[in-house]
Amino acid sequence: MRKLTPYYFILPAVIMIIVVALFPVGKTFYYSFFDIQLNHPCKTAARFSCEFDLEKYLENYLLIKRSLSELPAEAAKRIKALNKEVKEAAGSRYVLVQQKMLTYKNIAPGEALVDINDKNARKFRHHIKQITAGLNNKRNKTKIIGMVKSMQDALLAPTFIGWANFKKYIFNLRLWQAVFNTTAFTIVSVFLELVLGLIFALMMNKVFRGRNLFRSAVLIPWAIPTAVAAVIWGFLLDGQNGIVAKYLSSLGFVDNMGNMLSTAAGAFFSMVIADVWKTTPYMALLLLAGLQSIPGSLYESAAIDGAGVYKRFRYITLPLLKHAILVALLFRTLDSFRIFDLVFVLTGGGPANATETVSVLAYKKMFSQSNFGEGSTIAVILFLLVTFISIIYIYFLRSLLKGEETA
Amino acid sequence: MIDRFFTAFRYTVVIVFFSALMFPFLWIFLSSVKPLTELFGEDAFKYFTANPTIAHYISIFVNYPFLRYLWNSFIIATVTTVYSVSISAAAAYAVARFNFIGKTILLGVVLAIAMFPPIAIISPLYIFLKNVGLTNSYLGLMIPYTTFAIPFSMWLLVMFFKKVPWTLAEAAKIDGANSWQIFYRIFLPLSLPGIFTTAILTFITVWNEFLFALTINTDDRFKTIPVGIAMFQGQYTIPWGEITAVTVVVTIPLVIMVFLFQKRIISGITAGAVKE
Repeated sequence: MRKLTPYYFILPAVIMIIVVALFPVGKTFYYSFFDIQLNHPCKTAARFSCEFDLEKYLENYLLIKRSLSELPAEAAKRIKALNKEVKEAAGSRYVLVQQKMLTYKNIAPGEALVDINDKNARKFRHHIKQITAGLNNKRNKTKIIGMVKSMQDALLAPTFIGWANFKKYIFNLRLWQAVFNTTAFTIVSVFLELVLGLIFALMMNKVFRGRNLFRSAVLIPWAIPTAVAAVIWGFLLDGQNGIVAKYLSSLGFVDNMGNMLSTAAGAFFSMVIADVWKTTPYMALLLLAGLQSIPGSLYESAAIDGAGVYKRFRYITLPLLKHAILVALLFRTLDSFRIFDLVFVLTGGGPANATETVSVLAYKKMFSQSNFGEGSTIAVILFLLVTFISIIYIYFLRSLLKGEETA
Repeated sequence: MIDRFFTAFRYTVVIVFFSALMFPFLWIFLSSVKPLTELFGEDAFKYFTANPTIAHYISIFVNYPFLRYLWNSFIIATVTTVYSVSISAAAAYAVARFNFIGKTILLGVVLAIAMFPPIAIISPLYIFLKNVGLTNSYLGLMIPYTTFAIPFSMWLLVMFFKKVPWTLAEAAKIDGANSWQIFYRIFLPLSLPGIFTTAILTFITVWNEFLFALTINTDDRFKTIPVGIAMFQGQYTIPWGEITAVTVVVTIPLVIMVFLFQKRIISGITAGAVKE
């Protein structure tokens, strides 16, 4: 009983974590091996083998059935034979789905789907071909032909395609361009945030008038939604009315204020500016916490020994701050590497994909092209890259901790 | 002399940083009270308008469903925060208080989930929610938000709970209280400040979320405020007047919250990052 107590406490959290986090991640990996396209009638789900959609079949069959008498006798006979076979193969499910459709009841997801073996699938296709061929000679039967043809959509081919998505993307220029953009953005913005954040933190570590006000103020950019920050900077950097764009061009940083959001370099630095503005405060607060854990007595004795400001910073602050810096860098790098909202709202990945990050590319594949197979593949690649980065950081953090223990 | 120089230098840097951080907000506010004609052309760069107006502020609530967006965000963020923090508090208590097999793995998984990209789970969640008809509903966002709300709040709570003294709990144990009573009657009241801090940070994180909100709730009736603002478009021109006004409106509550809870928020941000 005693031993089980902690498990009762963690059980709800563990169940939720498995259901809403671990299972979906696994499912994304799974989807990356399929050709799933939500806008394609036959490719909306992951399937290893053929399946048969009774609802789609019956939708068409029930309509055709009404006009069977108008059809040539041979075609009508074939359609009847086909239906008989389908009915036999699907069994009770056929009756159930038909009943639900005739009474306008909702069909549960998956309820209308039955497995179909290869032999039956081939037979079904053959029948459809024969029927359409038989109807083709007759005039005025185009409507029926259309229905017979869409009956064929009821037969769902397997969507499993193995490594094909990965093979497609391993040498895909657009993906690597996105990886490059993400990496460049991460390095430049996180570096600037580290330098500015450190200066910030050193300032805030000293007592000065209005320090509390200042500390609250730095939290505001951190607290607003990134999407809203992107809208704000979209306004400030706008090519016609943006005040910051105007200042930047009159200071000579850009030739023309319209360039900020419309050229590749301009858009890249617009993203960097917005990101640095929003997240430097966060970096500064993490570093400030690290600074506050350094005992003041160290500085006092160093000052007595005659160490100047620079020496105290170089030989006391930096070495003792290493751990806080690494942790802050880890958090910020991972955050920056998965960036989506800032890019999506500020530049949309443009101009011409020049600022597209991996998350944005995956999003576009999934939600603009409805291609969830390829989108999941890109998401998996991003996941692996993020894991790889964390492993490197954790390795450095570990060796840092070990070094401190032996010293 | 050198000290005075450094003091002057420090104040200069502080003022420069402060201005850089606050300027965008100031500018957004100044633009939001300009009449439409002064938002474009040469007038767009003037700091102060001669004809201040609140027309844009009225417009966002009369002509556009921003009130609805705010309400949606509020409901979703509140409910998600309450149940995520409750579930996490129990788990964090066990992690901070007991030694059990699998604890290290649990903590590792929690940290890993807090770090991984949301795009990596969106495809199965989206397909699932679509199939069960939960897209465009409050529940449709609360479910995916749990993905990061639970690991995030659990991680923070473990940090806070480790600092709570155990002596009272030990005394209660001797008096015959069971684990649940110790947790509920003694431990929770003692650790309320940490729980409150965690709740604030979880609320902000959920309130600010964009990717899930953008893809799952596309209907105007269920959009959240970040998506509502970011996707806000006029018929012919970009409605900067309304955009700046609504930005000011959503920033004000945040400013109030930040000033009220500054110390707590900072302790929350730094709790997970500093080596004890």
